[in-house]
Amino acid sequence: MPTTEYLKIPQDRVGVLIGTNGETRQKIENITETILDIDGEEGTVIVSPSENMEDPLGVWKTNHIVKAIGRGFNPETALKLNEDDIYLEIIKLNLYVGKSKKALARQKGRIIGKDGRTREIIISIAEVDMAVYGKTIAFIGEIENVMVAKEAIEMILNGSQHKSVYSFLEAKQNDRKMKEFKSIAGIDDDKIEFRDDLDN
Amino acid sequence: MAKDEKWGIANIYSSFNNTIITITDITGAETICQWSGGRVVRADRQEASPFAAMEAANRAADDAKEKGYVGLHIKVRAPGGNGPRSPGPGAQATIRALARAGIRIGKIEDITPISHDGTGRPGGKRGRRV
Repeated sequence: MPTTEYLKIPQDRVGVLIGTNGETRQKIENITETILDIDGEEGTVIVSPSENMEDPLGVWKTNHIVKAIGRGFNPETALKLNEDDIYLEIIKLNLYVGKSKKALARQKGRIIGKDGRTREIIISIAEVDMAVYGKTIAFIGEIENVMVAKEAIEMILNGSQHKSVYSFLEAKQNDRKMKEFKSIAGIDDDKIEFRDDLDN
Repeated sequence: MAKDEKWGIANIYSSFNNTIITITDITGAETICQWSGGRVVRADRQEASPFAAMEAANRAADDAKEKGYVGLHIKVRAPGGNGPRSPGPGAQATIRALARAGIRIGKIEDITPISHDGTGRPGGKRGRRV
């Protein structure tokens, strides 16, 4: 008996959410087993479950998918959120740059980089999807990768040089590779160990 | 919903360091059981992991079922305030594990406290200096 959720997305993203002749919306509805009620003028979206929905998290997930589309992702990327261990993280830029429009534009420029180079590097090394849109930066990916990307963005916003951000990202990439290698080789030191004194 | 079914509330606090599940009755005043990631795993850094959350949720579900609860409304909460406002990795896992343990899921609500103004973020004007 999960109930409906209400949210609002920017007006110029409404078209993307609906798609040509409502294709995108249909696709989202089919995959997540929900019903999207979109108000094109206001940008409000009402997410309600369809009758035969089984996943108790369906509405919650669809909420995130719609939010991701509203934050500048294309629908294919946003639909990755339907999987279990993929997360959406949104950074609000005005917490870091204040109200000045000039500062906002400058910091966005620093994050994107010349011809989008910095953005490309963050996306490829941290293995996340990233969208810079309006006053926010949004990531979609596995939780650890998203945290790394978020930290990198925070470094840029706090004034680090790009050089040091890249080396931070590379160090994290090496860590991750090491972990993967260890788990393949079977010397996994990250095994979950449950307490044995649980039953008292 | 039949009249004799007993419903409760599962308050899930999910940060990046731990996941705490508190199951209360429908008023929210009477705690039925409390489980956390830290109660089920040994290592501190695994407290927030989805596996720990799942294990804790299973045990919480057992306790709730024992007391006769058939369904739970969910209230998810991230640290909020100055901290992160999106729930940590344990939140989704918890809800899924509760559902899989045979508990019916009612409304899912996000109750992260978000200040309209609040106190300043830590770090000061010149940022955190390490």
